[in-house]
This record gives sequence, C-alpha cells and structure tokens, in this order.
Amino acid sequence: MTTSTFTRRRLLQTSGGLLLAAGLLGPSAVRAQGGLIALVHTQAAGDAGPVDSMIGKLNQFAAETGMRARAIYAQDPATYETSFTTLGEAGASIVVSTFNEVAEPIREVAPNFPDTKFIQLFADPFEPAIPNVTTVSYDYYLGCYLAGIFAARMSRSGKLGFIGGISIPPINADFNAFKAGAQSVNPDITATVAFAGSFQDPAKGQEIATQMYSDGIDFIQTDAAATDFGIIAAAQEREGRLVSCLDPAQFTLAPKSLISIVGLDFGASLYNEAQRALTPDWQAGHVPTGLGTGVIDFIRNPEFIAQGPAELNAMAEAAMPEVDQARTAILDGSLVVEFNTNL
Amino acid sequence: MEDLIVAFLRSGTPIVYVALAGVIAQRAGVWNLGLEGLMIVGACATIVTIRLTGSLPLALAVAVLLCCALSALLWFVVEILKANQIIAGLGITGLGLGGTALALTAIFGSEAAVNAPFGLPRIGPAFGAFGGLSVLVALMPVLVFGTWLVLCRTRFGLRLSACGEHPFAARAIGVSPTLMRLWALLLGAPFCALAGAELAAGSLQMFSVNMTSGRGFMGFAAVIFGAGHPVGAALAAFFFAFAGALGIRAQLLYGDRVPSALLLALPYLATVAGLWLSARLGRRSTASGPNELGRL
Repeated sequence: MTTSTFTRRRLLQTSGGLLLAAGLLGPSAVRAQGGLIALVHTQAAGDAGPVDSMIGKLNQFAAETGMRARAIYAQDPATYETSFTTLGEAGASIVVSTFNEVAEPIREVAPNFPDTKFIQLFADPFEPAIPNVTTVSYDYYLGCYLAGIFAARMSRSGKLGFIGGISIPPINADFNAFKAGAQSVNPDITATVAFAGSFQDPAKGQEIATQMYSDGIDFIQTDAAATDFGIIAAAQEREGRLVSCLDPAQFTLAPKSLISIVGLDFGASLYNEAQRALTPDWQAGHVPTGLGTGVIDFIRNPEFIAQGPAELNAMAEAAMPEVDQARTAILDGSLVVEFNTNL
Repeated sequence: MEDLIVAFLRSGTPIVYVALAGVIAQRAGVWNLGLEGLMIVGACATIVTIRLTGSLPLALAVAVLLCCALSALLWFVVEILKANQIIAGLGITGLGLGGTALALTAIFGSEAAVNAPFGLPRIGPAFGAFGGLSVLVALMPVLVFGTWLVLCRTRFGLRLSACGEHPFAARAIGVSPTLMRLWALLLGAPFCALAGAELAAGSLQMFSVNMTSGRGFMGFAAVIFGAGHPVGAALAAFFFAFAGALGIRAQLLYGDRVPSALLLALPYLATVAGLWLSARLGRRSTASGPNELGRL
C-alpha cells in the first residue's frame, strides 16, 4: 500500500517536472539546437512553381545553417492564426509565409512573439511597421511587361492570351502590364484574359487554353501555379502553340512549346530574407524587390532554344534586343509601367 | 470547332464515370458523397503506379483495388457501424484528398506534382482531331449502356434497386440489402478509378494534389439531376461540362465586362438550376432517390 502510494506520487511528481521542463525549456532548447525555420504556405505544394521552390530552398537553408525546417500547408484561412501562434509558442526563430491573406493573422500574432522573426513574401508593407516582421513585395508585373513585348514579336496571329489562377489585384496588374508591353510593339494586337478560378486545377487550365488556341491565339502567358500543367498540355497538342510560364522547373515539361518564363524565384527570395534575418543588424520593415535583383526576370527556355523549331528560335533571338532595351529603360527609370489592377 | 468538342468530351468524361458510380450506389440506397475522394485516389494511384512501374494495366489495377478498399470501408462504416451516410461519405472524401497528399510525400518526399512518362492509350490519328482523346472517352458510351443494362434489365440490377426502394420487400425474397449495398459500392469503385485515371492520365499525364477540384461532387449532383438513371446522369454530367465550357467562353468574350468569378460560377449555378428543374418537372421522388435512401 505504502509502495503503491509512493510510486503514484513519484510518478505524478516526475511527470509534472518533465512537463514543466518541457514548457519552460522547450522554446529556448529549440533555439539552442540551431532553431526552427518554418514555412506556412497557403497554396498546395506540387505546383512546380512558388511553393515547391520555397520548400526546396527552406530545406537547403536548414541544411546549411543546422536549423530544423518545417513546411506547413495551411489550407483553411481559419487556421493561419493558429499556425503562427503554435510556431511562436514552439520557439520558432523564423516563420515565413506568403501572400496578402496572411497579413492580418501576422499582424495579430507577431507582437506576441518578439523573439520570432516573421517574413511575409508577396506582401504590402505594414503601417505602422511591426518590429519583428519583414514584408517583401515584387514587381512581377514588370516581368510581364517584358513578356508582352516578346509575345507581340512571336505572335503571327496578333492574338495573345493570359491565363491567371484567380482574379486578384496583383494578377490583374500582371495581365495589364503584359497587354501594355504587347501593344507598345503593336497597338493593334489583342490580349485576352481568363481565370481558372483555382491555382490547382490543371484540367480547367487545359480547357481554357484549348479554347484560346482554337480562337487563333498563338501565345499564352500563364500566371496560375499548378493550373499551368494543363495549359502546357494544351500547348503541346498542336505545333505552333506557344506558352510562357512561371518557373524554371517547368522548362523541361514542353521543350517545343514552352518558349519562356517570367520567373519569380520565391525560393531565392525566401533564402535571401532568411539569411538576412540571421544577421545581427537585421531590421524589420518592407523590402521591395524584383527586376534587376535576380528574383524576377524574363527568361527564354534553354530547352526550347535547344529543341524548338529553328524559325521560332530565330524570331525569339530577334525579339530579345527589344526586351533587353525595355528592361534597361525600366531599371534606369526612363520607362514607367503602370501598376493597373483593374480589368 | 473540333477542338472545342474534343475539350468538351475530355472535361465531361471523368464526371460521367464518377456519376455512374454514384447512380449504382444511389439505387442501392447509399448517398455516396465519397465520390470526390475515390476519384482523386484513382487519379493518384494511376499516375504514381505508372511512374514507379511503367505498367498501365498494373496502374489501373492498383487504382481499382484502392477504390474498392475505400468503398468497402465506406460500406463498413455506414452499414455495420451505422454511421451517417453523408458524414461518412465526406470522411472518405477527406481521406482521399489528404491521403493522396500524404502518399506523395511518403513516396517522393514532397507534395510536388508527379508526371508520368505516358498516359492512357489514345484513340489514334485515324480519328483526326478526336484522335488525341483517350480510349476511356470512346469506351464511355459503352459503359453507360452497360450500366443501364445491368441496373434496369437484369435480375441483379432490379434486386439492387429494390434494396434502395423497398429493403423490406427485398429481404422478404431473401435478398440482403446490406450485402447488396456492398456489391453496389464495389461495382461503382472501378468507375471512380476510371474517372480519376481519365482526369490524370487522359491527356495531362500528371497528378497534383486536389486536382479533382470538385468534379466528384459534380458527379454526385449529376446523379440527382439525372434522376438516378445511368443515361440521365451521363447527360447531366455533360450538361455540367457544357456549362463549364460556356463559362470559359463567356470569360473570353465578356471577361472585360463581367466579373470572372461570376462567369466561373456558371457550372455551379447550372447545377443548382438543374436540381430545381428536375424537382419542378415532377420527378421529385426519383430525383431525391429511392424511398429508403439514407435511412440506415
């Protein structure tokens, strides 16, 4: 009887002690072991684009710094705040997330965890700034402007297409810049936009692209993450259909149709900002980045250069000086591209 | 024009297949809201197995087996554990959507989209613009007819329907409704596998998480709109595909004047309109299913 009581008491004491130790030492222990870097992504992985690129770079960063990496898919907006709070409570050193939908949850949670650095990619600045939050914005629409110039030079029909995932202000601005770039070359050229309603519906992307190509459109710029797969599949069904996508990972998918990308290297951006967050002189605030920094650019597909039709490659080669000239003009400020979010 | 018909057939076929599975289950007295989950498991299993083994027959076999296993699980939960059909069906859908993402991570180390080196065989260049369609598109009318034949013209099919309509009468002649519902779900499982296979391997030759994007639920709506009849459900499925194509066409023509979100909602508005219409046309009893549907 005595033994039993003693054992139960000791068991409770030991358990309580362990729990207390875990509760008090948990976060600092995490930091002491090199810390935790977490990515909370709101779009599914598997897009051969932004999310996959970020996860890849997250793991690379963790391996190089000895930190632990966690990629968390927060599908439901109701879970954003909980995800950030949980990571803060776990003592995460750096929490990265993307897009504007996480802005409010970060604004709510970040002040409660001053030792955790929050990085929001593809974001507007916080007013006033939060001491432990960095926001990063990209001028992706400038890359789309360059794609428009290129597309106008490549199109034989004078009809261009643009397929976005969802109609949101930044993507609307991308389309308007694409159209403006094309019409700077040929004012009579037409650009048609359509949205799949999802960033994860390749079958819908294929349907839209098929209808566009059937209407005589011969060059489509995508802005739709995993939906791009269907657009690329539609481009491959007939010769002469060209598509320009988002990510270098897509290069090999269609060496004879995928002619270029407007690359936005989310992974590189995550890596750069995470590295900056580890420096002692790190300061929170807003970081505008994009064209000219290596994060965003218009790039021809090397696979297409190697395997694509010679005639199209010659046309592309001839178009590039004009694209390069526009890039230079944008960077030196002599060419201003409007950021227009209205369709 | 041919391209548009091809796109229409391509987008409608997976919904037809999944709707056939829903029809069989509905006739036996089961609201199968797990169609979305079964479809995505079929899609995932097909592409992943092709990628890993290079064998299409094996890929289809794995897809069918997994869909059968999930269907048997649904039957067990609904019939043996007496769980609510709607909740259990949604559970199967959640299991399918989450399970496929988990499977990708377990097999390939990430949820990244998986490409297969080849897909389903095509009809062939002899059919011109239609040659790029998969054999499952060509096979679809045969299977719709076959399903009608089995359900409406065979003793097995009539007994199956009796289990949904009057299970007590079925019991009276020695037919076990519980067992017949298992057969119904197992019979529908291959259709779900084929729906997923057509979606992922018909022309895309790739799988990405959540790629069914509600097509299983559209198949379920087609069952109701088609009054639980195989031909009616197939026509309803194509009606939804047509509404989807119309939504895209409207975007291309009026996208600069009408909000794209509204135009994208066309297929779903068509679904609601279809359900309303089927009720107004005086087919309430058939559209809402057999008498004993859901009363388990």
